[in-house]
Amino acid sequence: MAEEIRIVQPKEYYKRFLEKDVRPDNRELAEFRPVVLNIGCVTTAEGSALIKIGNTTVICGVKAELAKPDADQPKDGFIVPNVELPPLCSSNFRPGPPGEQAQVLSQTMADVIADSQCLLSESLCICPGKLVWVLHIDLVCLDYDGNVMDACMVALVSALRNTVLPKVTVDEETGDIQTDPTTRVPLQVTCCPVATTFIVFDNKLLLVDPTREEESMATGAVTIVTEGDNLCSIYKPGGTPLTENQIDNCIERAFTHGREVCRLIEDTLLSVDR
Amino acid sequence: MAGMELLSDQGYRLDGRKPNELRRILFKKGIFKQADGSAYLEQGNTKVLAAVYGPHEIRGSKSRARHDKVLINCQYSMATFSTQDRKRRPRGDRKSLEMTTHLKQTFDAVILTELYPKSQIDIYVEVLQSDGGNYCASVNAATLALIDAGIPMKDYVIACSGSYIKDTPVVDINNLEESSGGNEVIMAVLPRCEQIVFLEMNSRLHEDHLSPVMDQIMAGCRDIFAVLNQKVQEELCQKAALDKLVDSG
Repeated sequence: MAEEIRIVQPKEYYKRFLEKDVRPDNRELAEFRPVVLNIGCVTTAEGSALIKIGNTTVICGVKAELAKPDADQPKDGFIVPNVELPPLCSSNFRPGPPGEQAQVLSQTMADVIADSQCLLSESLCICPGKLVWVLHIDLVCLDYDGNVMDACMVALVSALRNTVLPKVTVDEETGDIQTDPTTRVPLQVTCCPVATTFIVFDNKLLLVDPTREEESMATGAVTIVTEGDNLCSIYKPGGTPLTENQIDNCIERAFTHGREVCRLIEDTLLSVDR
Repeated sequence: MAGMELLSDQGYRLDGRKPNELRRILFKKGIFKQADGSAYLEQGNTKVLAAVYGPHEIRGSKSRARHDKVLINCQYSMATFSTQDRKRRPRGDRKSLEMTTHLKQTFDAVILTELYPKSQIDIYVEVLQSDGGNYCASVNAATLALIDAGIPMKDYVIACSGSYIKDTPVVDINNLEESSGGNEVIMAVLPRCEQIVFLEMNSRLHEDHLSPVMDQIMAGCRDIFAVLNQKVQEELCQKAALDKLVDSG
């Protein structure tokens, strides 16, 4: 019987649960889903990570290429994040060019890297004006069960921390490029930005780490990106207006969550020998 | 260059396998919640994911619907980080389109298509890491995903590749053996009735050598089938026992 109500009247179904401060998957309103992180799982990539938040699964691979820098910024390398939501991950996505959501996610990833300064584009410089690294950070969602933003962010940071590049030198006189594959240099990732997403249910309740079903019923959402003790960005794409108190509350919870996720990434990195 | 020989005088290949030896196979069914059926398969260093949606109503233009059989929609895609050199596009390039067509044709032949007229089955394959034998791994993963989705088929479809190196037929070739310019034979078979669904050969091979290579690949397919079938049946038995326990209270 319960399953029928869930399909016919999902909102009513959820309301009955939320009245008792619990969600249909047995979580409390402020409870996160369990996170599984696997770093260095794709050996063809320079760096990689796979994350599972509940059922949501995202894999991230970093590939590096050499390129000539732009003339006006001779020291800046290129960081190109790209998020893919293929039809494989959910029946809501159609084959074809990337949808709006995927493009928004890609842009958000690029913004967060720039805003948090976790990886400076100058650090990708090999020889000013001549040669820089291009980092292609490809994120593929494999199973879409809500909160892809948070998952992408963890996967991205973990994959960057896992990335090692071969040492490349440019001969000053001849301009020859020499690669030394035996010496491997890790990227200079300075910090660990973590996103925390909340949704607003029925214009009043705040739920953390939403599933796909919860996302589809949400009347609003807010994502807070923290980095250690600093706020990095707040993203509230319209929807139900929130009071300042509510936002403050969210920020506070985001900081606690951010620290936990950072610890998880550190612990997982320690267990990976590379 | 003794170290670079594809087949050493002692009869070992570059990765230390015997000519008739397969790479290690690991797989898991039912890994995703959103899809109706899903599977993850590793053959050596080739890692593939497959997801199956359906049978469901036709999406997009209704004119594609067939009144007598189900429409099979495939998409083969390779993650941009799956190869040594970064791929420009994960899908839509010629190689991927060819692979998509091959997968579609293969599964068109084995799924009992007449059972679901006017509907559609989606098979999505994503290669996460590639080390040769992408088609084979994709077919094997998709078969497992279809089993997981409970879609009726005539038999398993098992694919395996092979080559002819130094007068010896070798099976399940890896990226190095594939790209060294030798010939490559790919076969998809129904292992129980030993029928061939898909056969592709490129590069030159003497007529007399084809049949030993095909025999070797057929043996490889039987071995892969044995590995897959054993675990699938085990899991099924476990689940049946569990259901029985639940039913009896």
